[in-house]
Amino acid sequence: MAEAQKQPLTINPESIRQAVDARMNARLKMWMRICAHCGLCADTCHFYTAKNNDPRMVPSFKAQKLKKLVQKKGRVDEKFMQELYDTAYGECTLCRRCTLYCPFGIDMAMMVATLRGILTSQGMTPEGLKAAIQNYLDTGNQMAVSEEDWVETLKWMEEELQEELPGATIPIDKKGAKIMYTVNAREPKYYPQDIQLAAKIFHVVGEDWTFPSKPGWDDTNLAMFAGDIKTAGYIVKLIKDAAEELQVQRVVVTE
Amino acid sequence: MTFISFVEGPLLWIAFLTFLIGSALRLLFFITLSTKKDKPVYRYFSFKWMSLSILRWLLPLNVDIKKTPVFTILGYVFHICLLAVPIFYSAHVTLWQESRFGWSWWQMPDHWADWMTLALIAITLFFIIRRIALAEVRIITTASDYLLLIVCALPFITGYINTHPDGSAYAWVTSALPMYGQYTTTIHILTGELMLILIPFSKLSHWILFFVSRSVIGIEFGRRNYSV
Repeated sequence: MAEAQKQPLTINPESIRQAVDARMNARLKMWMRICAHCGLCADTCHFYTAKNNDPRMVPSFKAQKLKKLVQKKGRVDEKFMQELYDTAYGECTLCRRCTLYCPFGIDMAMMVATLRGILTSQGMTPEGLKAAIQNYLDTGNQMAVSEEDWVETLKWMEEELQEELPGATIPIDKKGAKIMYTVNAREPKYYPQDIQLAAKIFHVVGEDWTFPSKPGWDDTNLAMFAGDIKTAGYIVKLIKDAAEELQVQRVVVTE
Repeated sequence: MTFISFVEGPLLWIAFLTFLIGSALRLLFFITLSTKKDKPVYRYFSFKWMSLSILRWLLPLNVDIKKTPVFTILGYVFHICLLAVPIFYSAHVTLWQESRFGWSWWQMPDHWADWMTLALIAITLFFIIRRIALAEVRIITTASDYLLLIVCALPFITGYINTHPDGSAYAWVTSALPMYGQYTTTIHILTGELMLILIPFSKLSHWILFFVSRSVIGIEFGRRNYSV
């Protein structure tokens, strides 16, 4: 089950209706219409099989909750919204396996992701995701690592690396480098050695690479998981802007 | 105008035009909205992935044949019968020949039409029982799912009864519903018109949107190197 919704919930029918309308595209409308309710997706879902073939875990059943929400035109109660929240976060990982077996190729993950986006627009987002999204907006990375800490961590790792590999560097803001390397913000925060290991490989193979000092080095995009497309786009744009400013040829993403 | 001539005349036109124009509008609605709100479909448009995905799922070349063979094969047989009998049944072709269009094409032997009709009715029955019996299908089944199965089967049921006036089904229907004998053909035509009219307004619109949906997902999965 998804973590309990902690925020007090106020239902704003007009706001829900607008959030739904803004997200209804031609594909979603088509998929809500043509699903033949054949049930071929049932046993493709790991939630369905893991929960002893619980019919409520059938992907089509979960995806059609979007249809229910659309039909209600914003006239929903708290219980219904909580049910959507539990489904969107607790009963689907957006893996798309069901789509591989759907004769129509209905993208049920996209339908559940749309549910997440609508819920986020109403302030219904898991606390962890909500905090991370705020961190992106404030600092450009999910762990709220300041620019000062980031650069300091890189310098520290460079010093340690040079004890082992004299001449090895962790280049920062090197204009015209071939590669801009990006990491998960967890690396500078908790596992800085990972950065050192990557630098070691780059040094040994003689790669021309660099890190940006400014935001754009965190390649995770947790806003996407909350269906917060606006922030998700902002995060990608940070990376794109950094890469353009440094005039690199490509962006490399950490494993 | 009598009821019979209305069903055979104006209503037939209404049914065919509703079906054709309604389906065309479904397609048009998709195109006009998608060019505004579904840009990835066009940005990554690929004829290769589109046609591959359609072919793979139009023909029995897909994963469901392996995963759920009985249901999937019955699904194919159902669709083949549903399309082939109305189009190639000899009496239907004759009507087209005699119509203002004067069109004519291959006709299937009548005993084929008989067997395919019985197969479709049997599969419809199986589908209804399956919807009731399997919990995972029951939960997603709506009243319209049952209704549309019956709507699709009705032209076949009435067609079979009418072409076998010596059969027990005919005797049973006419004894239960004495007026049936007077309106056999009219009722058969009505059931067909009902199905045609419902197509654009129901999930039956998948006859055309299937191709759109498969194209869309073929393009999306193809570019990501997933199975299309």
